[in-house]
Amino acid sequence: MDELITILGRETVRTILGLTGTFLIVVLNTLVLTWAERKVAGHMQRRIGPKEVGPYGLLQPIADTLKLLGKEILTPRAVERPLYYLAPTIVFIPVLVSFIVIPFDSYLQVKDINVGILVILAFSSLSVLSILFAGWGSNNKYSLIGSIRSVAQNIAYEIPLLLSILPVILIANSLSLKDIVEAQKGIWFVVYQPVAFLTFFIASVAETNRTPFDLPEAESELVAGFHTEYSGMRFAFFFLAEYTNIFIVSAIATTFFLGGYQGPILPGIVWFFVKSYLLVFIILWFRWTFPRVRFDQLLNFSWKILIPVSLLNLLITGGILKI
Amino acid sequence: MVNTIREKIKAKIGDVEVTEVSYTEKGYHLSISAIKRNLLPLVHFFDEHLFYLEDICCVDYVEYLELVYFFNNYQSLCRMKVTLQIEPEHPQAPTISHIYDGAFWYEREIHEFFGVVFENHPNMAYLFLHDGIEFYPLRKKMVLVSDEDKRLLNSFKVEVEEDTFSVNMGPQHPSTHGVLRLVLKMDGEYIESAQPVLGYLHRMHEKMAENRGYLQFLPNPGRMDYLGAMAFNLGYVTTVEKLCGIPVPERAEFVRVIAVELNRISSHLLWIGAFLADLGAFTPFLYVFDDRENILDVLESITGSRLTYCYFRFGGLYNDINESFIEMTKAFLKRMWGRFNIYENLITKNVIFINRTKNIGTIDQDRARKYGISGPVVRSARQPYDIRKVEPYAAYKELDFDIPSGEQGDNFDRYMVRIREMEISLRIIEQAIDKMPEGPFRTEKVPKKLKPPKGDVYHTVETPRGELGVYIVSDESDTPYRMRWRVPSFSNLIIFPHLARGTLMADAVSILGSLDLVIPEIDR
Repeated sequence: MDELITILGRETVRTILGLTGTFLIVVLNTLVLTWAERKVAGHMQRRIGPKEVGPYGLLQPIADTLKLLGKEILTPRAVERPLYYLAPTIVFIPVLVSFIVIPFDSYLQVKDINVGILVILAFSSLSVLSILFAGWGSNNKYSLIGSIRSVAQNIAYEIPLLLSILPVILIANSLSLKDIVEAQKGIWFVVYQPVAFLTFFIASVAETNRTPFDLPEAESELVAGFHTEYSGMRFAFFFLAEYTNIFIVSAIATTFFLGGYQGPILPGIVWFFVKSYLLVFIILWFRWTFPRVRFDQLLNFSWKILIPVSLLNLLITGGILKI
Repeated sequence: MVNTIREKIKAKIGDVEVTEVSYTEKGYHLSISAIKRNLLPLVHFFDEHLFYLEDICCVDYVEYLELVYFFNNYQSLCRMKVTLQIEPEHPQAPTISHIYDGAFWYEREIHEFFGVVFENHPNMAYLFLHDGIEFYPLRKKMVLVSDEDKRLLNSFKVEVEEDTFSVNMGPQHPSTHGVLRLVLKMDGEYIESAQPVLGYLHRMHEKMAENRGYLQFLPNPGRMDYLGAMAFNLGYVTTVEKLCGIPVPERAEFVRVIAVELNRISSHLLWIGAFLADLGAFTPFLYVFDDRENILDVLESITGSRLTYCYFRFGGLYNDINESFIEMTKAFLKRMWGRFNIYENLITKNVIFINRTKNIGTIDQDRARKYGISGPVVRSARQPYDIRKVEPYAAYKELDFDIPSGEQGDNFDRYMVRIREMEISLRIIEQAIDKMPEGPFRTEKVPKKLKPPKGDVYHTVETPRGELGVYIVSDESDTPYRMRWRVPSFSNLIIFPHLARGTLMADAVSILGSLDLVIPEIDR
């Protein structure tokens, strides 16, 4: 190990290890979340959920993955090939990059970039690109409507997302995620910034296209939205990205508002995952209780409620800090 | 009411033949035979007096074709049968679709089954038979379809203008509940026009009825509306009983009420699940299925089937109910009363649900009348019109219940009306169990082969979706000469293009869901 470090240099080894770890987390998280979602949905709907494959159905996600892998990869004849192929591939990039800057523990972070927040925000805006590719490339009206909705939705919700992070930055006085977590040693920022936490959480549910904001894939209107024409492994990639996204937004919310890895007794990484999965559970809970909002209601909610509220919150925070 | 209308018709229209008939025997009050010249003034007259168009059908008497119009009034029971004889060679009749919008589809249907051409009708395209036909199916003698008529096939294609595009919603689409197809012309997310395309489940029950005995047709009605099979079964049985004058024992009448009301609750429950699924909430679907399963168990114990019931027989029931049925029903009632609270918390009070349903798909009273809407849809439009109340059949006369009505006829009102109706159905069942008399459950000596007297009869029942009308013409043989089914979903769907115009796609889906359509019933 030491030899390897001396040959390649410390940073390179760190990056390689980090990327491997990130990839592992992505895959494991998806396996856990598919199981959790089906189990949560089952219990909320007066049924048991998966129980046949493995104890408590724990091996169900693996069976699902094998099924998706075994499926024939179909390419509809009329698709715009380059875009159609590219979309499921690039859907991962923004997700993976976001993992680099998240501090899982005080020592566990791939790279502490001093503008970490900007990296996350910049790359999360990119995820809409793959949805647009998928919608346009599929050459299907439902897909196209879904992807157009997705673009409008992402633009509308990016702004409150940013506006609700800004007060945190003002308090922590840093753009690095590690500094922000360290600043929450005593009191979590959710205590100072409950409004910002709420707006951030709502906006991030919208960013991940989950119910009640799942308009790009609204199954009762658009069949399956932007991934109508995808099947097999290509569909699995979108699936993977969706679950990773849920985890990412929960992880970011944990980092910004719930004190990240801070917590008594237990090691930091456990605290981090406990808090993140609690938020993930709430997002799953949303999905199985709420109907879907309408497209214009969705946009109105962002422009008329979330943005003014978070802007006001930012002003007040700034004012108080100045005094 | 009937007498004043009669006097007024005589005074205003003049040379029409108005005969008063026995309502209990025929199912209508006045039989009016019009001629082409005075049909339109007559229809205008009904329109002015706030009648709604119940049905238009056609009967082929070989020497002549007879168009039969049924008009009825939401305020007080007053059913008018207007007949118009037309010659069979090149049948032509004036359209009334510019007066009653609902006639638009009825006339198209008559055109493809009988070849009657309606003058000035805006679009005579085929409704059901998109594969094309060689002869008119319901004519008694073979009449070949003219080339001119064949050209009307496929005329539902949308011309796409600049800035718009067309979307084929269905026949395979998650929210068209079966195989309805909607051709939408869209401007972005907004719908410019919506055109339903029917016929994917067309089985021609009306023709089937002409080829088999009355008893043999008994299983068919349940296959039309598979969610309200009991009510369709009842509609058919009571019509034939009316036609042949078969008495029904009192006990059977009460059991019929219980069975139909249980079926109504199960249908409404399923509607709630499907409607919420249309709005994007999946969980209520499984909650209502939990309740519905209980009803199916109860009904299975007496009928032997869980979906397409065929429980009623001419003059009574298939078998008598027993103690365990009463026990199970009571257990279900107890359970169901406790469930409304859950639905209220899960659905009714949900802000997103309220925002998605309030002021969407508003139907006003006059519009409902012009389209001949019935059932919970018309009740949502401040029109408490229910056949069970105005024209009581079975044991409804002896039961005390009220009719819910909505405020403005939007999706939310339709939801609330159905919730209230379930509560009322529970109360009806409670009363029926209490008042249930002892006695026989079936009239003895009903012949297997029925040969009803010559004549026609019209009878309506209230199904979960609205007014079901059965019109039977008998020629003294053992098969019906003509059997016409006026189905509720059909007339409720006619209003959809009007409601969908200018709405968002998501709203159109929820409006379609709120109408509670059962496609096999529309297509028959």
